[in-house]
Amino acid sequence: MTSDQPRLLVTDSLGRRQIPLDKPLVTIGRRSESDVRLAGAGVSRHHADIVVENGACRLRDCASKFGTFVNGRRAEEQVLAHGDRIRLGETEDTEIVFLTGGEDGAREHSAVSAVSELRHLAALLEGLRALGSGRVLEDVLTLVLDSAIEVTGAERGFIMLANQAGQLEFKLARARGQVTMSGRTFETSRKIPETVFNTGRQMIVEDLMDEVLAAQHTGTVALGIRHVLCAPLRLVRYVERAEDKSEDKIVGVLYLDSRERGALKSHSARTALETLSMEAAVAIENARLYREALERAKLDQELTVAAAIQQSLLPASNRSGRFFSTAGTSVPCRSVGGDFFDYVDFPSGQFGFILGDVAGKGAPAALLAAAVLGSFGSEATYQTRPAPLVTRLNVNLFRRNIKARFLTAFYGMLAPDGALTYSNAGHNAPFVVGPTTVRRLETGGTVLGLFEHASYEEDTVMLAPGDVIIAFSDGVSEAFNEAGDEYTDERLLASVNTHRGKSPQALLDGLLVDVHSFCGDATPSDDVTLVIVRYEG
Amino acid sequence: MQLEQRIVGQVTVVKVTGDITLNKGGDVLLKDKVQSLIQQGQKDILLDLSGVSYVDSAGLGELVQAYATTKNRGGALKLLSVTKRLKDLLVVTKLLTVFDTFESEADAIASFGAASKT
Repeated sequence: MTSDQPRLLVTDSLGRRQIPLDKPLVTIGRRSESDVRLAGAGVSRHHADIVVENGACRLRDCASKFGTFVNGRRAEEQVLAHGDRIRLGETEDTEIVFLTGGEDGAREHSAVSAVSELRHLAALLEGLRALGSGRVLEDVLTLVLDSAIEVTGAERGFIMLANQAGQLEFKLARARGQVTMSGRTFETSRKIPETVFNTGRQMIVEDLMDEVLAAQHTGTVALGIRHVLCAPLRLVRYVERAEDKSEDKIVGVLYLDSRERGALKSHSARTALETLSMEAAVAIENARLYREALERAKLDQELTVAAAIQQSLLPASNRSGRFFSTAGTSVPCRSVGGDFFDYVDFPSGQFGFILGDVAGKGAPAALLAAAVLGSFGSEATYQTRPAPLVTRLNVNLFRRNIKARFLTAFYGMLAPDGALTYSNAGHNAPFVVGPTTVRRLETGGTVLGLFEHASYEEDTVMLAPGDVIIAFSDGVSEAFNEAGDEYTDERLLASVNTHRGKSPQALLDGLLVDVHSFCGDATPSDDVTLVIVRYEG
Repeated sequence: MQLEQRIVGQVTVVKVTGDITLNKGGDVLLKDKVQSLIQQGQKDILLDLSGVSYVDSAGLGELVQAYATTKNRGGALKLLSVTKRLKDLLVVTKLLTVFDTFESEADAIASFGAASKT
C-alpha cells in the first residue's frame, strides 16, 4: 500500500472508523451491501459513490433523498481533496473526512492496511465457505491479534469471546512476531476484560503499579505489566430502515499489553484499534456463524437423506387393480414425519391398505413409523384377517417398549365382491361415501403400542361400485387456520361432496387444495396424510 | 402448563392448567410430577383436567404412561372434569374405556376408597 492511500475517516454514533478507498467504486449508504454502511437518519439506502480513477477520488451523489454535501456545500459530483468533510443529508451526526496524506504517521497506515486485510479476509471467508474449511474462526482470530499488535505496538495480546451463556472465554493469545502463546503462560486478571465487556468501553490502564486499584489486579501486577489497552469487540447491526435504532452487541474483548511505558497511549493507536475491533467483530461473528452453519448443514443433510428414504418407503400414490383404484399422499410438517401408509396385494385377490399416525413429530416419530411399516410388511401377507394383523402390530410395538410412544392406525382389506373388512386402532374413523350415504369405520380397539393385551375387533361393510373410502390423519381434520379454527371432519366431508364422482387422484388433489386454502398462511403443525380407495365393482 | 397439588384423604389431586402438548413441554412436566408422587408413596392420583383445553398425541401418550406407571405400582390414576375436546380424543382413540373419568370430585375421591377395599 502506498503512503498516500486515500481513505475515509468516519465518525458517527457507532464510533470512529477508517475505510480505505481501495477499489474503483466505493458505495456509501444504509443498505447492507454498501462498502461504507451508515446508520444515520438522513442517509438513503444507496446514497453516494466514490469513483477512484487515476489516483483521483470523485464523490457522486446517487439521487439521495436529502443530498450530499462537501464542506457544507451541496455536491452532485466533485473530486475530493485531502481534508474534505463530507456530510450526508441535513444531520450532523455523521462526520466523514476524506484523507490522502500520511501526517498521522505510519501507525495509522498500518491500521488502514489491517482493515483492508480484514476486508479481504471477509471475502476469503466466502470462498472458504465453499471449500468447507473448519479452521476459519482460528484463522480470523490470529489475523485480528497480529494486526492489533502491529497497529498499537503492543508486546502481546489475547482475545476473549462470549459464550452462549454470556461469559467470556479465553480463545487465543499472540505475541509480537506472530507467535502463538498458550493460554496458560498468558495468565492475567479477568477483571479488565470483564469490565470492558460489561461497560462496552475501551479501557486504558496505565502503569497498574501506581493505581489504588492495584490490589484488585493482583494477577496482572504479579506479572509486572505496566500498560493495558482493552477494547470491546462490538458487532454493529446495520438496520434497513432509518427509523430503526441500530443495534449493537459486544461479542468479546481484545486485550493488549506492553511493558513500555506509554506505548499504547497514542491517540492514533487507540483510533486504529477502535476501527480494527469493529471490523474484527464482524469477521469473528461471520466465522462463528459459518462454523455453526457447517454443523447445521451436516444435520440438514442427514434430515434430507432421511426424508428421501422415508418417501421411498411409501408406495406409489396411485394403485389400480381389477376392482379398485387408489390415491395416497403423506406430507410431513417437518422434514420427516410420523404418518405413513402402505398397500398390500393378496394372492386371494384382496387389496389391503393401512394408514397410521405415530404420536409426536420429526425424527423420533419417523423412526417408529419406519419400524411399523417394516413390521406391517412382514406380517401383512401372512394374516388373512385385519384384527389378527392389528393385534400382531400392537404386540410387536409394545415389545419395543418405547415409553409413551404409540400410534393410531386404520387397516382395511377390500375384496373383489365389495366386502371391506377393517380394524381401526384408535384412529380417526375413515369415511365411506356413497351416493346418498356416509358411513364411518370405527370398529377395532385402542391405540397401538401401549397395552400388551389390548384386543382388536373387526367389522365388514359392503361397498357398492363407486363408493369411496377416505382415510386421513388428524393433520387433515385438525389443520388450523390463522384464526385458530380447525378444519374439522365436517369441512372435510363437505369438500368430499364438492369433488364427488372424481377419480381418487383428482379427489385427493381437490381435498389438499381445500385444506391448504383453509389454512392460508398458518404454519402446518402436523403431518397431513390421506388415502382414498374407490371400489370400481 | 401449570400443576397444583393438594391432598384429600389418601388421594393426591393434581390440577392441571394449560395445554398438555409436546411443543409446550407439558408432556414432560406431567411425567415428572407423576413419577415424583409415586416415589413419595402417593399412588392414588386424581388429575383435575378442567383447566386443560388441548392435549396432543404426545400429551395423550404421557397420560397413558402415567396411568400405566401408577397401576404397576398398585395405585390408580383417574381423570376429573375431562373437557369435551379431550373426551372426543379419548373416544376416537378408544382410550375412554381405559381411564376412569368423573365429573364430581367427591365421586372420584370416593371411588378410590371403594377400589382399595376390593
